[in-house]
Amino acid sequence: MKILAIMRKELQTFFYSPVAYIVFSSFLLVVGYLFWIVLVTSKVATLQPLLYNAAFILLLVSPVLTMRLISEERRSNTIELLLTSPISPVEIVIGKFLACFILYLMLIILTFQYPGILWSYAQNLDWGPIISGYIGIILLGAAFISLGLFASSVTENQVMSAMISFGGLLLFWLCGWAKTALENSLGEVLGKLSLFDRFSEFLRGIVDSGNVIFFLVFTITFLFLTTRVLESDRWR
Amino acid sequence: MIELSGVTKYYGNFCALDGVSFSVGKGEVLGLLGPNGAGKTTAMRVLTCFIPATTGTATVAGFDVFENSLEVRRRLGYLPETPPLYPEMTVRSYLNFIADIREIPVKMKRAKVDSAVVRTALGDHIDRVIGTLSKGYRQRVGLAQALLHDPEVLILDEPTVGLDPNQIIEIRGLIQNLSADHTVILSTHILPEVSMTCKRVAIINEGRIVAVDSVENLEQKGSNSTRFKIGLKPAGIDWKKAVESVEGVRVEHESVRGEHVFFDLTLPAEAAYEKVFRAVVGKGHLFTEITPSRASLEEVFLKLTHTDEPSSSERREAA
Repeated sequence: MKILAIMRKELQTFFYSPVAYIVFSSFLLVVGYLFWIVLVTSKVATLQPLLYNAAFILLLVSPVLTMRLISEERRSNTIELLLTSPISPVEIVIGKFLACFILYLMLIILTFQYPGILWSYAQNLDWGPIISGYIGIILLGAAFISLGLFASSVTENQVMSAMISFGGLLLFWLCGWAKTALENSLGEVLGKLSLFDRFSEFLRGIVDSGNVIFFLVFTITFLFLTTRVLESDRWR
Repeated sequence: MIELSGVTKYYGNFCALDGVSFSVGKGEVLGLLGPNGAGKTTAMRVLTCFIPATTGTATVAGFDVFENSLEVRRRLGYLPETPPLYPEMTVRSYLNFIADIREIPVKMKRAKVDSAVVRTALGDHIDRVIGTLSKGYRQRVGLAQALLHDPEVLILDEPTVGLDPNQIIEIRGLIQNLSADHTVILSTHILPEVSMTCKRVAIINEGRIVAVDSVENLEQKGSNSTRFKIGLKPAGIDWKKAVESVEGVRVEHESVRGEHVFFDLTLPAEAAYEKVFRAVVGKGHLFTEITPSRASLEEVFLKLTHTDEPSSSERREAA
C-alpha cells in the first residue's frame, strides 16, 4: 500500500515534469533511425543489431530516469518527511524502483512496433531470439535502474548522481573485455560480472537460468545497498 | 508524553545539544525558545527519529525514538523548518500521498484530507500546483501535512515563519485549538508567539536547556517585585510627600489625568510596600491602580541567554 503510494507519486512526478517526454521522444527517435538504417543497409529481417543498440541507448538513458529519484528528496528536504513517516526505507526504495521500472517497460513496449513491422514483411521471422532478446533487455533494465537508484541515494546533486551511474554502468558493461586481456582468474571474474557478456547471450537466443539469476542478484544487491544508505542516515 | 533525558548530539566535534532533558505532558503546548543555532531543530530532529542522539534517550508516548522508531513515527506529526513539499504536485495529490504513507484507511482518506484542508484554510487552493503557491500557503500545506492524521504529538519547527500577521493569528488559534487533544512542541525565536500559544517554555541556548517553566513563572523570575505602576486619586497636593515618606522610595514618570495621577513606584526593598501603602492611605489618598510590573519574556530571555564569556562557543567546539 505504502509502496504503491511512493510508486504513484514518482510516476506522477515523471509525467508532471518534461523529463519523461524528452526521454521518450529522443529514445524513440534514435531507435527508429537505427531500425531504418540497419534494415536498409543489411536487408536482413533480424532484430539483433537493433536490440543490441537499443540496450546501449537504454544504458545512456536510464541514469537520466534515476538521477533525481532520491537525490532530489535530499536536496529539497522531503527526505525528512519520508524518514519521519511510518514508512521503511525498503518500502521507499521498492516504490521508487517500481515506478522507474514501469517507465522503462513503457519505453520497451513502444519498440514492439519494430518486430511488428518486420513481421508484416517477412512472415518467416525467427521469433526465438527476438523474445529472448526482449527478456534480456527487461532484465538489463532492472540492473540499470537499481544501480542508478543507488547512485542517486549517495548524493544530493542530480548531475553527480547521473555521472556515478553512467560510470558504474559503463564499467559493468565493458568489464568483460578484461577477460581476453588478462587471461587469469581476475579476468574470469570480471567477465562473469559483465552486463554486456550476459546480455549478448540473450541476443543469441539463449535464456540461461544462470544469466537470469545474475541480473536478479545484481538488482537486489543494489536495491539492498540503497536501503542501507537510507537507513544509515538514521544512525549516523 | 514526551521525555528527553540527557540528550547529547555531536556533529563531528561540534556539540549541538549538550545533555538536554525536559518532558512534556499530554495535552500540553511546550514552546522551545532560543536564538538561531541554539539547537532547537536538532532537538526536534532527535524526537522525530530523523537523526539519532549521540548519547541520552528520548521517548514519545512511551516508545524510544531509536528502539521503537516506527511506533514513534506513527504517533507524530512533524513540520520541519522548510516545509517538505513536492513543487510539481497539486495540494490535493500531495495530501492524498501523505494520507497513504501515514497509513490512513482508504475509506477515511477523503474525510481526513478535507478536514486538514478546512483547518488550514486551504480550500480555495486545493487544485493549485504547490510550486505556484506563495510562501504563506506553502507553510499552510506543510501544516496540513503535519496534522492530517490527527497525531498524538505534533512537532512544529517555526510554524509561523513567512506568514503575514493575519495568517499568524489564524495559525496561533489553530495551535491553541489543537492543544485540547494533542501534545504540541513548537520552536520559535519570536517571543510574543510563546506567551500567546504556550503554557510552558523551555529556553535553550548553545545546546543547553537554561530554563523550563510556565510563562508566568518565567516572567515573575525575571522581575523584581519592588516595582509597581500606581494610579492615585490624591486628597491633596501633598500626595508625593506621603509616598516618599519611606527612605529610598522613587517616583518616576508622573502624569496627571483629570483628578488622577499615575506614576511608577520603585521601593528600596520588597517588604517596604506595606509601610508606604499605609502611609499613603493614612493621608486619605485613594489607590485606583496597583500593578506589580513584571519583566516581559523578552527580558527574561535576554537575561538567561546572554553570556558574558565570548569564548563559550569556542569551548563548545573544542569539547
